[in-house]
Amino acid sequence: MKVKFFAIFRELTGTKETGDFAAETLEELLQALGQHYGKKFTDWVWADGGLSDDVIILINGRAIEHLDGVKTRLQPADEIAIFPKMAGG
Amino acid sequence: MYGWVGQVLRINLSKETVKKEALDPVEARNYIGARGLGIRLWMKEVDLKVDPLSDKNNLIFITGPLTGTLATNAGRYNVVCKAPLTGAMAASNSGGYWGPELKYAGYDAVIFEGKAKKPVYIWINDDEVEIRSAEHLWGKTVYDTTDVLKDETDEDAKVSCIGPGGENLVKFACIINDYTRAAGRSGVGAVMGAKNLKAVVVKGSGGVKVANPQEFMEAVTKARQMVKDHPVTGQGLGLYGTNILVNILDQSGGLPVRNFQDSGTFPNADATGGESLTAKYLVRPKGCKGCSISCGRINRVAAGQFATFGEGPEYEAAWGYGADCGIDNLEPILKASNLCNELGIDAITMPTTIACAMELFEKGYITKKQTGCDLSFGNEEAIVDLTYKTAYRQGFGNELAEGSFRLASKYGHPELSMSVKKQEMPAYDPRALQGMGLNYATNNRGGCHVRGYMTAPEILGIPEKLDNLVTEGKAEWTKIFQDLTGAVDSAGICLFLTFAIGAPEVAEQLKAATGVDYTVEEVMKAGERIWNLERMFNMKNGFTRADDTLPPRVLKEPIKYGPCKGSVSKLDVMLPEYYKVRGWSKDGVPTKEKLAELSIQL
Repeated sequence: MKVKFFAIFRELTGTKETGDFAAETLEELLQALGQHYGKKFTDWVWADGGLSDDVIILINGRAIEHLDGVKTRLQPADEIAIFPKMAGG
Repeated sequence: MYGWVGQVLRINLSKETVKKEALDPVEARNYIGARGLGIRLWMKEVDLKVDPLSDKNNLIFITGPLTGTLATNAGRYNVVCKAPLTGAMAASNSGGYWGPELKYAGYDAVIFEGKAKKPVYIWINDDEVEIRSAEHLWGKTVYDTTDVLKDETDEDAKVSCIGPGGENLVKFACIINDYTRAAGRSGVGAVMGAKNLKAVVVKGSGGVKVANPQEFMEAVTKARQMVKDHPVTGQGLGLYGTNILVNILDQSGGLPVRNFQDSGTFPNADATGGESLTAKYLVRPKGCKGCSISCGRINRVAAGQFATFGEGPEYEAAWGYGADCGIDNLEPILKASNLCNELGIDAITMPTTIACAMELFEKGYITKKQTGCDLSFGNEEAIVDLTYKTAYRQGFGNELAEGSFRLASKYGHPELSMSVKKQEMPAYDPRALQGMGLNYATNNRGGCHVRGYMTAPEILGIPEKLDNLVTEGKAEWTKIFQDLTGAVDSAGICLFLTFAIGAPEVAEQLKAATGVDYTVEEVMKAGERIWNLERMFNMKNGFTRADDTLPPRVLKEPIKYGPCKGSVSKLDVMLPEYYKVRGWSKDGVPTKEKLAELSIQL
């Protein structure tokens, strides 16, 4: 699977994307990413025992709110995009 | 009065007269200021069917009661008139420093009537107001005009002016203050140009009195803290600017590509986004008066054929010159968008009109004979060259200067104009964002994203995440966003605040500043009143339900690629519900009961 990073997550990870991780669920993937990229990454993604409100995650272009959240099951061909909360216009 | 200065400047350019008048406190309370009050004042005085470019179309520069105060991000003003691009009401909103300065000089608004015999500019120095010749400025760019006028008046003066775009009556010319902040859409700059009014220069030595200073500072401190603590306003916008949206719209499948033909995927979109801009071309962030966000981008391309220095681009301009024109190189995008500021033309309608022309060219409806160049999608030189030529109405630029609807209609294909009410849709595909499509279709000034920013809930999860592909509930949400924006625009504060604060914080600041007992309900009601007043203007100008629509492409042609593949706009489902939520007739006309409820007297 491919994980893409945007905005501050590129600075936290030092890369735009990685194919080095595999997981059964999004939650497992985020934990693996946190272990690899460290505390700052983890602090951005998790808050109060759950996913932080300050992060936006898409799986194949769909926001995880409309899937099964962090419990969403992942497939090898999935693309996961991770953004900080952002806006503009 | 508190918050409001209480004084309006009326300048008749034909008669060369200057009058100072008291601001009507009842109208001010009901319509707040800036956008709402400006439209109200305009409609009370002008024949609604006026030709936008005639001397009878009043042009109003107007602030809100919070403009120039210590309230959160209170640097805004509006320019109000009938719009040459759409025939609808224009209220174009700008930041910077000009609006606050007008209040420090002692005025809430300046109303321009008539037309000067020769080019003039206005020099407002507190109580002293002069109409001065601008013949030596005619033809100059925004940057040069601003420099000269600061030299001629006061180096601390603030300048709002037109460039060649406005002088040449480009239908989407803007008015630009403080070098780079634009009252951008609908062609207000052309109205200023038609009046032979080159600039309004202002310097003030006063301040703005608030009714309850302690209560006001408590409200301001609370709101400022919320803005600081929010990840968008406290960090993201300042770090990356609004162009950070390129990637999330691309990844979500909502980025329009090649005049909305290939929405859903744009290879190398990342090269045009905020991350790339920040890494390669950002000199520094920049904010407006009293701003803690600093979303503005000072940019520089140091060398090469697209070498440039300026401010921007916002996401919409980067998308317009980028994905919509099939270009994935930021350097020509920066060059062209900087030119829009320098020449005084709207950086949304300009690139989207070029994108329309590119499709006309691609399909063979126009050729090099008309365009003078190979206008294929992806032509980097063309976007710069045609932007320049449009401002001066040179060659094919003279046709682009009419906007995409008139251009496409001239060649028999109005359906290729991606516009609503003749104003081009910005950077969110209505097939991928159902609520944004409803907002575009019903927007009183045509294709407009800011006055009902449904992208916030549909893509960004602010204040909560809505499914972008469903229609349920979108009518209610769209109304709330449209009404709240009406109030925020009218208060004189920045819309971006609403990512962090809501109607309660707007009401608290308004109440403490003005002494008027604004509540959340009153604020939302004022926003609804403003929306309905604009709607009535359009109704009386011949707009009907048939104008509440979207380009056939987004209603009929499914998105071809990406996560929203197969989707079309389901406007027909949402529109009747929207009218119902608005309390309008089935034909979209505000009822007598609704107008009475809102105390709208036409």
